[in-house]
Amino acid sequence: MIEEPYRWVEAVANRREYIETQLAHGSPIAAVGYSQGIVFITLGRTRQKLFEIYDRIAMGAIGHPGDIERLRMAVIELASTEGFTRSAADVSLRRLAYYSLSPVLKAAFEQIYGAPYLARMLFAEIGDTPENDLFLRLEYDGAIATNGASLAETQKNFGALSGTRASTELMESFLKREHKSAATLRDALKTALDAWTVGNMALAEDGARELPAKEAIASERDKIAGGIEAAILDRDAKTAIRYRSLTGEEIRSLTTR
Amino acid sequence: MDSPRAALDQGFGGGVDDFAALLRRKGLLAQVPQSGPAVGRTSAIPQTQATTILAFKFQGGVLVAGDRRATSGNTVVYDRADKVLEIDRHSIMAIAGVPATAWEMARVLEHSFQFFRRTQLQDMSVDGKVRALSKLLRDNFGFVMQGVGVVVPIFATYDAGADPAARLYFYDAMGANFEVTDYAATGSGSPAVRGVLYYENNWGKKPLLKLDEDDAVTVALRALDTAAESDTATGAVDRNAKIFPIIKIVSRDGIATLLDKQIAALFKKGVA
Repeated sequence: MIEEPYRWVEAVANRREYIETQLAHGSPIAAVGYSQGIVFITLGRTRQKLFEIYDRIAMGAIGHPGDIERLRMAVIELASTEGFTRSAADVSLRRLAYYSLSPVLKAAFEQIYGAPYLARMLFAEIGDTPENDLFLRLEYDGAIATNGASLAETQKNFGALSGTRASTELMESFLKREHKSAATLRDALKTALDAWTVGNMALAEDGARELPAKEAIASERDKIAGGIEAAILDRDAKTAIRYRSLTGEEIRSLTTR
Repeated sequence: MDSPRAALDQGFGGGVDDFAALLRRKGLLAQVPQSGPAVGRTSAIPQTQATTILAFKFQGGVLVAGDRRATSGNTVVYDRADKVLEIDRHSIMAIAGVPATAWEMARVLEHSFQFFRRTQLQDMSVDGKVRALSKLLRDNFGFVMQGVGVVVPIFATYDAGADPAARLYFYDAMGANFEVTDYAATGSGSPAVRGVLYYENNWGKKPLLKLDEDDAVTVALRALDTAAESDTATGAVDRNAKIFPIIKIVSRDGIATLLDKQIAALFKKGVA
């Protein structure tokens, strides 16, 4: 079948459609930089979706739990061996994503006789200053999107991930409009929660292209009863390990006005 | 690369592998050489050695202390060696023996605990940690039999959820772990240290467990000073060069390293 180039293109397109359908219901994940660090937030649907990868690297993922686990284990193994043989300072998200994860994801995606990874990941690496924070989204086909500056836009200090492209884009335009990098943890958490709400509304309303009104976001956010999962990467931590998941108690006290 | 998927997953163990096994799989752990000095005979190469370490429980947790000397045969190699190593937020490993092996063990151990937490999404239990060090020593025994790389560590940890919260272990070179209730000491100066700690614990002002921090530090300094008095491999305090023992305390709040200034003041007051 794949001897013919056209068939191969068709097979890859089918596979993309299949994966997109599988991922379309993933609960959004927002990562937002604030003055003292980066906060990750999502609403759990019973399983953990935010993970510690290494001292300064965190990951959020949506997709099939089996595939997420394989990728998570692989990236932790890579980071840990690098940190052990060289030093923790030599572990970099950029290298992990570009040299190790992306080529493998691409190959698995395009080899149409094998199974692709049903997963989409959002990574963040905390830097010494907010300018050095790295947010990186990795797609099932190996494509990478970062927060770096481009011709059309300045560097962003947030990252978003959702089940559909439209939902992700809406989250990003919301964060671009609402988020300030000098925010406190409390403000950042609120903005991130609103971004999650925007993403989730877009998933429910198929084909949404416009940001919902502020009141609509607020009323939708007030419906959130619990199940918030949040983790932070602390910029000024005295210890080497910057990752910490927030306890339910902390989240409650940070989200109540 | 025949299967790219397998490339990332090579030998994927379903996440049950421990870190040492991962290193072995990747060929990053030292292998015991097949040829070398005959089994049971001491190596002809003089090895760098580190001595003396001690640890005891007191009111505020566990105090772990070590002198700063590293020797090779009759030669003092180094007088600023750090034999008291932090493994994680609540665990300290102190080493007597060959630093080359011991520091590598400490690195493996530190990464093992973190690797376990990151992959398994839970902290390793105290028993698991104690066992992990045992296993590293056991794996090193091939070297020991060839006459190189003997390490005799002390492991101290604080587990707020357990009773008692402060836990203290010493090991032998084969990897047996012995939990102690009061104190432990290993290294060439340890007989003198054990004498001092036994005396203090039974007939001192207070039992070790009841001492406050200043008194505990003073006892540790006196014990190390006693060891240095007769054992050439144990370094004494050098006040001119400002070389003081490394003293760390593990408690509920984590690990605190005493500043030289604090140690100097207590040394002046309570020792010399």
